[in-house]
Amino acid sequence: MNISKKIVVLGYFGVGKTSLIRRFVENSFSNDYKVSIGVHIVKKTVQVSTDDTVSLILWDLEGTDDIASVRESYLLGTHGIIYVFDVSRPSTFQSIEKDLEALAKKVPGVPTQVVGNKIDLVASEEVDATLTEKGISFDYLTSAKTGEKVNELFEHLAKILALDAERIKGKLQ
Amino acid sequence: MNENDKIQILKDILFAEDSVYIEKIANRLETLETTLNDKKKLSSKVDPIVLEQLEEFKESIPATLGPTITATLKVEIQKNKDEVVEAIYPILGKMIKKYIAHEIKLLSEKINRQLSFKDKVKAWYKGSSKKREIIENLASCHIEQVLLVEKDSGLLKASYSNTQTIDEEMISGMLTAIKHFVEDAFVTKDQNLELIDYELYHIHLQSFKNYYIAVVLSGTYTTRAKDKVQNLIFDFFEKFTRLEGYRTLDMENINQQLALNFGNEHL
Repeated sequence: MNISKKIVVLGYFGVGKTSLIRRFVENSFSNDYKVSIGVHIVKKTVQVSTDDTVSLILWDLEGTDDIASVRESYLLGTHGIIYVFDVSRPSTFQSIEKDLEALAKKVPGVPTQVVGNKIDLVASEEVDATLTEKGISFDYLTSAKTGEKVNELFEHLAKILALDAERIKGKLQ
Repeated sequence: MNENDKIQILKDILFAEDSVYIEKIANRLETLETTLNDKKKLSSKVDPIVLEQLEEFKESIPATLGPTITATLKVEIQKNKDEVVEAIYPILGKMIKKYIAHEIKLLSEKINRQLSFKDKVKAWYKGSSKKREIIENLASCHIEQVLLVEKDSGLLKASYSNTQTIDEEMISGMLTAIKHFVEDAFVTKDQNLELIDYELYHIHLQSFKNYYIAVVLSGTYTTRAKDKVQNLIFDFFEKFTRLEGYRTLDMENINQQLALNFGNEHL
């Protein structure tokens, strides 16, 4: 079975969304800082089991300073969300709860992965302490620069979506 | 009072004025040094001068450097004719092709306008002239690609393609993003983006409730061609929605339907 799923990747300016995607899709990383403009779409097919693949159509949305202002039409029909924050910049995760609530209202029931990126910039104990202190729960801590946990993140989401698809197919039959 | 004290008193009397002067110089030197070491201060003093010089330089470029640059360019172009042609050829080629396509479209439409119904009947009986046939052929529109796309997610449901292109799933995603962007920009509700012109190609977009169809066309896209494309789209969509469980049909099935409907169609 081969299914295609739309994934929206969003977060504040400069948290490394484009770099994460680039690391996953092209397996490379550019140190040049580049603010993505509007939306950029890339695709990567993930093998989730011997017979099944999931084509992830990744919508890399431009960085924002207010998640509520994300263009709603870009979120339409999305099957998964990756919310990225920068562990080295608290301003990018201080209103995470509010942001996730706003997203859940816009696209209810969509599997969301919360990702703290740029862990190569901060000592792991410091990251743990800061996130615990602020009560921030996350799904993955990644580094687009070193590639740490990047593949795991996308592959995990692909598996969730494949299971969802199986479940829906089962219900229909 | 010893000898040294006496000399000091004498010095003070003789060099009183000089010491004030030296002190002033030292102060000014200190100010200068601070200015030189402080980037901001130095920049506030130097920038206006540099700017003024730059302005003068800008004004004098055409007169002073212009002839040298022109001469150098001429020599370089003469020396590297092949490289220059190679660089310019694709751009000029495209421009000329686009211009010719546009002119043929105008010519074809002009001919059609000027032919009376009587002329058309006469031509049909006699068979059209070779020239007209060639012009019509050149002006004709071809379907290059058809994409059936989910309206909200932009996911590709099915496709038919005459030519090899980059990943169709990515194309349908980008088309959907462009569509969303344009439709959001013009806030009026229920308006849809219907046509995108891209160099020698036209992308006709027909929106339905849950899907939209994008038809990529080459050649001159006349009103007649548009009418025919719309008929083909509606015809296909009607057949598609009549298929049992059309929403869950696999891509291969719909691809075949698209090929049957749009393949070998002359516009």
